[in-house]
Amino acid sequence: MAQLDNIIHQPVRLQIMSSLISLDQNEQVNFTYLRKLLKLTDGNLGAHLTKLEEAGYIKIEKTFVARKPCTFVIATGKGRDAFAEHINALKEIVEGSKKQIQ
Amino acid sequence: MNISQEDAKASLSSVQNVMGQTHKALSSAYANPLLIMWGLLWLIAFTTTHFYIPYAFYIFMAMSVIGGIGTAVIIRAFHSKAPVKETSTNNLSWRITALWIFLCIYIIIWLFLFAPFTGLQCNALICTAVMFAYIVMGLWFNNRFMIVLGLVVTAGTLVGFYLLRNYYCLWMALVGGGALFGTGLYIRLRWR
Repeated sequence: MAQLDNIIHQPVRLQIMSSLISLDQNEQVNFTYLRKLLKLTDGNLGAHLTKLEEAGYIKIEKTFVARKPCTFVIATGKGRDAFAEHINALKEIVEGSKKQIQ
Repeated sequence: MNISQEDAKASLSSVQNVMGQTHKALSSAYANPLLIMWGLLWLIAFTTTHFYIPYAFYIFMAMSVIGGIGTAVIIRAFHSKAPVKETSTNNLSWRITALWIFLCIYIIIWLFLFAPFTGLQCNALICTAVMFAYIVMGLWFNNRFMIVLGLVVTAGTLVGFYLLRNYYCLWMALVGGGALFGTGLYIRLRWR
């Protein structure tokens, strides 16, 4: 039985993880691009990314592109596994019984 | 905290939406300027060839050179503001470039091996080979549009080759150039 993940389950964090999981394992996405894509504010996205980073689900890398500071975000292996488990749990709920968030 | 079947359904639907959005947004960032440029080049080259058939070779050589330079300029311009970068050293842009270089080499080999009899055969062979590469790229990036585009233009090339020989170039300007340009424009307008 797959378990729901209360860090990922929050709607904004679920969107962030969905977006990052869409990329290949070795691809990282630009912070600004992610903010525009998900229609979030800098502060809102930053706060949720920090939560996900603390859980070890994503990695944040600050770098310079064409001499401008740039932040890139990538889903970790642990994050991908947790997301897959969360999705499986959601599917199980849709298919049948209610589930308790751990 | 309990979550109901409705909440779970809504969450799964939201996941699907965001994944689709991300995929489309990233595809559009790279694909549309290249498709629009190549669509315009095909349109101009085929239309010009219809009216100046003896100069077909020079027209298509010029198109290939302009297209090659244009592609390099667009990729370079987009590289610095690319929304996604790879962490591995196995750089994707190099693999894509290699695919097209190998395709060009293989097209030249096939032209020598099969020695197409007419310019029309030669052109149809090149167009279908290029569209095959579109399909390969579509499968590579899981991009449905590239696959459909490759199949549609291939089918259009065959229709032009077998049924509309006298108007082949105009037909290809419309079907080939139009499909590339139209797809690029559609992605630009609808996937942003």
